[in-house]
Amino acid sequence: MSLDVMARAEAPIPLAAEFRVDPGELLALVGHSGSGKTTLLRSIAGLWRPEEARVRVNGDTWLDTETGVDLPPHRRRVGIVFQNFALFPHMTAAQNVMAAMARGVAAPRVEAERLLELVNLAGYAERRPAALSGGQQQRVALARALARQPQALLLDEPFSAVDRATREKLHGEIVALRAHLNMPVVLVTHDVNEAQFLADRMVVIEKGRVLSAGSTAEVMSDPAALRAMGLRELAAMLPATVAEHSADGLTRLDTATGPLYLPRIEASPGARLRVRIMAHEVILSRARPEGLSAQNILAGRVARIVAGEGPAVLVHIAVGEDEILARITRRALADLGLAPGDTVHAILKIMSVARDHVAGAV
Amino acid sequence: MDWDALRLSLSLAAWTVAILLPVSVLAGRALAYRRFAGKGLVEALVMLPLVLPPTVFGFYLLVAFGRNSPIGQFWQEMFGHQLVFTFEGLVVASVIFNLPFAIQPAQRGFEAVPRDVREAAACCGMSPLAALWRVELPLAWPGVMTAMVLTFAHTLGEFGIVLMVGGAIPGETRTVAIAIYDRVQAFDMEAAGLMAAVLVGISLFTIAVTYALSARVGRRLS
Amino acid sequence: MLTRIARRCLLAAAACLGLAVPAVATEAPVVAAASDLQFAVTEIAEAFRAETGHEVRLSFGSTGNFARQIREGAPFDIFMAADEQFIADLHADGFTRDAGELYAVGRVVIMVPNGSALTPDPEMNRLAEMLAAGRISRFAIANPDHAPYGMRAMEALQSRGLWHDLQPFMVLGENVSQAAQFALSGNAEGGIIAYSLALAPAVAAQGRYALIPETWHAPLRQRMALLADAGAVAEAFYAYLQSPPARRIMARYGFTLPEE
Repeated sequence: MSLDVMARAEAPIPLAAEFRVDPGELLALVGHSGSGKTTLLRSIAGLWRPEEARVRVNGDTWLDTETGVDLPPHRRRVGIVFQNFALFPHMTAAQNVMAAMARGVAAPRVEAERLLELVNLAGYAERRPAALSGGQQQRVALARALARQPQALLLDEPFSAVDRATREKLHGEIVALRAHLNMPVVLVTHDVNEAQFLADRMVVIEKGRVLSAGSTAEVMSDPAALRAMGLRELAAMLPATVAEHSADGLTRLDTATGPLYLPRIEASPGARLRVRIMAHEVILSRARPEGLSAQNILAGRVARIVAGEGPAVLVHIAVGEDEILARITRRALADLGLAPGDTVHAILKIMSVARDHVAGAV
Repeated sequence: MDWDALRLSLSLAAWTVAILLPVSVLAGRALAYRRFAGKGLVEALVMLPLVLPPTVFGFYLLVAFGRNSPIGQFWQEMFGHQLVFTFEGLVVASVIFNLPFAIQPAQRGFEAVPRDVREAAACCGMSPLAALWRVELPLAWPGVMTAMVLTFAHTLGEFGIVLMVGGAIPGETRTVAIAIYDRVQAFDMEAAGLMAAVLVGISLFTIAVTYALSARVGRRLS
Repeated sequence: MLTRIARRCLLAAAACLGLAVPAVATEAPVVAAASDLQFAVTEIAEAFRAETGHEVRLSFGSTGNFARQIREGAPFDIFMAADEQFIADLHADGFTRDAGELYAVGRVVIMVPNGSALTPDPEMNRLAEMLAAGRISRFAIANPDHAPYGMRAMEALQSRGLWHDLQPFMVLGENVSQAAQFALSGNAEGGIIAYSLALAPAVAAQGRYALIPETWHAPLRQRMALLADAGAVAEAFYAYLQSPPARRIMARYGFTLPEE
């Protein structure tokens, strides 16, 4: 049930990309506006045909310029969520969802309500798009895409038209939804953090060409990719297990090299998750500090140091098998005299680990 | 009150709308969504009847369908009489000179449907025909409605072309607009005024009803 | 919801379409008559109906226009022109059954609306006066290009030597009825129209007229003919037009009847 994509074109924009997404996997196509990522997505859906391309899903060929196969979008079982929702304004939420269902579906109304419940919109079935907020509309769009029982789910910058708070909420919901997404999922985004948060694999596109591809961790360590994506707002996803909830409103997570505290989250002890740790919020210390207000102190080893253009550098710190990123100034680096291989402690305030930065592990 | 003439006018308007409705939808949609070589030329041709004076246009129609034309001669052979100077001839002329009214507003209506909504329809598994019926038409409906109202009203009022192509034959091609002109020429101002009032009344009624319907549809969507 | 509205519209449309094409089995014949015959022939047709029970349909307009339409295949049965030449030309091209009949000789009058500063006199002296004094703004005649009464009006004005000077103020009617409309509307000082129109009560009430000498223009020899596909009723009406009752009506409208 994998999705195989190859696309090559000279005009209107240059393209040369190839990738594969396995069922249940979420691959992020990351790049700036005009990099060609949306064009790639549209060619998977059948909304655009490159000069040379091949799209195969689960053994079915949707597009092959060599043999002349080019199925129109309505004959590809693809689910797509557009940037501006693209809901049918004259239909209710339930009707929108049912519009994507194939003819033979037994009880479409029931199924529509089930899907709406899945995206946390139970009770909104009779609302029209005009009476829904941006976030709600996007959820309906997602339910509609799923109603198609698609062989591939495509998300075209689905969160850029909503405000930040809603976006982060939707991120969490997507992660929770992953269990129900057993098809290949392709997410197009210009937001690196979003990609890192949601994706298993990433493909960085610049000017239509693949700059870097691989697992999220691999790509996030690739200097070329990092440079292309800009070094701001970088974060690491640290795997952890829920240990216990304390009476004073905190939760303790266990990582490879020590405990991590954060404000209480809704998760049962034993649950495995990933925590996003923003690189610019990490303080480094050679020795284990004492008397600090910060409660989170993780020991690690400097794996790599990547220089940026400005006064900052990015320090990759190995924490067991995983990695944390720390962004400090060149001056600080020089003062500490850090080099790859050195032991170092990463310090993080509890309050710096936001609830929304926790994702269920895959 | 020339009831024959009124009947002819309403009938002509109704036939014109009936024939142009599918044309309006299909041509309006095609012009809205397709790009093809010569599209600009097609759009200009559609607008031509608006730009030409009615008498000039009527003259060209007479030449194109008259007894000396291939179409006229074919008609003569098939039916034993001319196409021009008959009600059928008026319908043909009316369909042609109403093209801009029938197509343009419909085209705008279809253009107003957002592109990503149409793409979403396709990605929902709707064939182009299904998308037209379930998504595009419900949204472009006001444009099509306007097109049909304009066509109806314009046909009721058309004079020059109907006179040229129809010949003002009582009971066959003398529509209300021409009958009014006739009564004025006969210095029968009373009859002329009465018919004019009836014509205006019917036109206003039709337009009002149509817009009320259209507003209802619009409210449902918002 | 869309289907509900669609259904209602379809019902209304079907109702309108049902009004369509007359298809009266035996259609009454159509007479194309020059505009100056507006009142006279209407009366004659009524008398014909009273006497025989048969209907004829009347269409009035400019002689030239009708001639052109007949050449294009207009389905008229009888053509009553205000001139002989048009009939002769149509006959030569095979559109009429025969050379037709001279049915009347017409006259032109100068007519002015009530309240006009212009007063009508047969020699058009007052018109000449006012024209010289610059007090004429508009003067109406039928279009000389295709209306016989317009041609005669032009000839009369030429005879009087006023044609050239009157040009800038001329208003042309598409036919002589329209010329009468213009002349009596109050927007013109007056005009030259058909005698038969001036005598009609509806028109006479609107102004005053004076007969223009017939020597000032070519005679208005009005000729009519049966057209190619004319049927029995048309033939009957054609004969009726030449019968005494019809002639009496024509005489009342100022036409001179041709000698037998």
